[in-house]
Amino acid sequence: MARRAPFPSRLFLAAVVLSVLVLASLVMAAPALAQAGAQPKRGGVIRIAEREAPGLDPHLSISFLTHSYVSLAYSQLVRFPNGPEQKSPTDFSILPDLAEKWTVSKDGKTYTFNLRKGVKFHNKPPVNGREVTADDVKYSLERFMAKSGFRDRFEPVTGIEVVDRHTVKITLKEPYAPFLNHLANPSYCAILPREAEEKFKDFNNPDAVIGTGPFVLKSYEKGVRVVFERNPNYFMKGLPYLDGATIDITPDAAARLAVLRAGKAELPHIWGWISPEEARTLKQTNPEMSITPYKVIGQGFIYLRTDQPPFNDVRVRRAVSLAIDRKSWNDALLFGEGCVDAGPVPCALTDWKLDAAKMDPAKARYVVGYDPAEAKRLLAEAGYAKGFTMPIYHWPGYVVPWRNYYELAAEDLGKVGIQVELKPEEYGKYISTTALGKYDKAAMGPSTPFTEVDDFLFGRFYPELPTNQSHVADGELTKMLVAQRREMDPKKRKQIVDDIQRYLADKAYYVYVPQWPQYVAHPPYVKGFRHHDGYGLGMRLLYTWLDK
Amino acid sequence: MKRYLIRRLLLAVPTLFLVSVLVFALMRFMPGDVATRMVEGHAYAPTLAALRHDLGLDRPVHVQYLDWIGGIVLRGDFGTSYWTRQPILNEFARRFPVTLELALLTILVSVVLGVLIGILSAARQDSAADYLGRVLAILALSVPYFGLAVLVVVLPSIYFKWTPVWTYVPFTVDPVENLKIMLVPAAVFGVTRAGPVMRIMRSALLDVLRQDYIRTAWSKGLAERPIILRHALKNAMIPVISLVGLQIPLYIGGSVIVESIFRLPGVGLFFFEALTRLDYPVVQSVNLIIAAMVVALNLIIDLSYAFLDPRIRY
Repeated sequence: MARRAPFPSRLFLAAVVLSVLVLASLVMAAPALAQAGAQPKRGGVIRIAEREAPGLDPHLSISFLTHSYVSLAYSQLVRFPNGPEQKSPTDFSILPDLAEKWTVSKDGKTYTFNLRKGVKFHNKPPVNGREVTADDVKYSLERFMAKSGFRDRFEPVTGIEVVDRHTVKITLKEPYAPFLNHLANPSYCAILPREAEEKFKDFNNPDAVIGTGPFVLKSYEKGVRVVFERNPNYFMKGLPYLDGATIDITPDAAARLAVLRAGKAELPHIWGWISPEEARTLKQTNPEMSITPYKVIGQGFIYLRTDQPPFNDVRVRRAVSLAIDRKSWNDALLFGEGCVDAGPVPCALTDWKLDAAKMDPAKARYVVGYDPAEAKRLLAEAGYAKGFTMPIYHWPGYVVPWRNYYELAAEDLGKVGIQVELKPEEYGKYISTTALGKYDKAAMGPSTPFTEVDDFLFGRFYPELPTNQSHVADGELTKMLVAQRREMDPKKRKQIVDDIQRYLADKAYYVYVPQWPQYVAHPPYVKGFRHHDGYGLGMRLLYTWLDK
Repeated sequence: MKRYLIRRLLLAVPTLFLVSVLVFALMRFMPGDVATRMVEGHAYAPTLAALRHDLGLDRPVHVQYLDWIGGIVLRGDFGTSYWTRQPILNEFARRFPVTLELALLTILVSVVLGVLIGILSAARQDSAADYLGRVLAILALSVPYFGLAVLVVVLPSIYFKWTPVWTYVPFTVDPVENLKIMLVPAAVFGVTRAGPVMRIMRSALLDVLRQDYIRTAWSKGLAERPIILRHALKNAMIPVISLVGLQIPLYIGGSVIVESIFRLPGVGLFFFEALTRLDYPVVQSVNLIIAAMVVALNLIIDLSYAFLDPRIRY
């Protein structure tokens, strides 16, 4: 009798075991698969409670509210990923938008964009649904560079040439690594039709809001409501899922949260944001609500006049940084959920951030450390054994927890002998003087959440810029700042950015304070609304759908 | 009467001129700069200069004033918003009915409540009803309307998943829906303004009730109701009318907060947003229009005294 070969039986056994495992894992994973594979439903209108935008013209306004509103209606040449496309809320990789592809010359100074064919503007007069062409791109870029408060972003651009109906070539005076990120940022260059400006003078008139975006502006009752309808001809087939979106103008923060609680809005903010404290109370009153914390690109710091005594002495700056008990702030005010390693690149900008943990600990302690004894020693070494008095200029109106931050900074610095005189300022004065570096000795406040690392480095440290609030003028650093924005290879640029972060660690030009998370809150039937830190509300709504 | 009217109208001219100068100067003294504000932390010098030029802020201050006031006086042009580039008068005209309706309903609530409780308090002086009325008046005076408004919006949302914040609908489109939206803010604002009305009503009525002609009415055997309602109330209303007249700027000022909390698209919100954005032309022109209205209303109230008290002649 022939013996059965042992190998096939082992194979059979293995196949059985494998099948059982696969079946078991399928059974266990069924709910998750069902959730992940939940088919988006078309229809419904999402209601957003938000403050009123100061205008609708994306090139004339620098307000994030304006850009968020009209991002529903406009497209750009390129865009950031959203929804299922994004790896994280700060994924700023570049995807095609109106340009289906592009090439960059070897010297990094010429960009050639090939536009999608057949993309049409919204069917509203005077544009009446005509096709988008390279002329529209040239017109929009030139208008942006002539009129926008953000025009410096495209300062290296020297020429825009229409090659043919669907091709446009942009020439720069030097390689400029942030260029595509700026083109993708919804705060900057929306592509607009010339006819609308000719008819309406600018794009502030609601009838002039004619774009190629996923939603069409149907009506705008000032002070009341903005109504958007789905663009049936949107070039991304099948999107958006929503029939429309309304922004109900709600100036008061307490009222925005109240309408969310009462079911009169799906989002209490254009990002859906509420503070950690509000999130806790909302969980109690509305346990059914979806409330998720996210790291966001925020940053706060004490900025110092490094061009004047006593802060031109690095020992004094280091002492200030070592005096700040960031962990206690985080525990006391942010429920331990904040990020204490908050600068010079924000925690949430993960593609560029070099964590303090990966740096030389002897240097990194001047970014994240707390050592009041060492701070006192450094002050004594610098000739301030008895301490000194310094003002901290600030605007007290920033949201929670800023008012506590000012007081905690004063308290911590007092413990090492630096007496702080808190100097509150009216917002107009603060934003037009102190925030632009016109102050005496020291000030404190948040940074604009930029999407490009260049803004946190070149913008904050390049000599003479108004955004260089600490008046840094460091030759070695300046060379690296210029090098990173001229380096077109992302890996090499990252190395330079890392070098900059290592270099800055023990300089303490700015003293960074913990950054808190934002909670995104909405009812559970809002699906597909993935948080993204860019300013494109329209893109965040692209994959959003209502399960009801 | 005619001469009085002409004199008052002529007096309004220097009053409004002073208001225009004062508001214009105060805006220029406000800390900060609108151009910088418009570009905020992103500002680089060339952009700021260009923006200042676009807004006309690089011209001498007196030229800016003359341009603004000249436009109003010569062409009826109240200017355009720095931020929206839209004509101010159009926006004001669109928003004014909301604030007017809120003010009228607020006055209605405050006068009805204040007068009724005031009459009851005076007619039953030193009774339990009087004490209760006085306590209510002090309470209404003490509670800030903005605090009460936030509580009215937030508390029902926590406990009942409901809030009296709706999306505004004009009266002409749907009167019922409009009143549903407007009554809660008017009630909140009106209740807090009813306190002073009640106290003035009470003291004025007590004063009138002690006068000889009322004593004569009692001695003739008239009942309490006709004595109070037909003989005493008309005279006692004069200080109440004065108070309501004096409170009109308060109603406009208060509308800033109330409109913001209840998301009503009125002039108060328009003004407040312009102020926070240092939108000089909007703040100046809205102030001037409201000042002109207050001057006109004060005149109307002064003229109404003659109707209430025939002894008053102009």
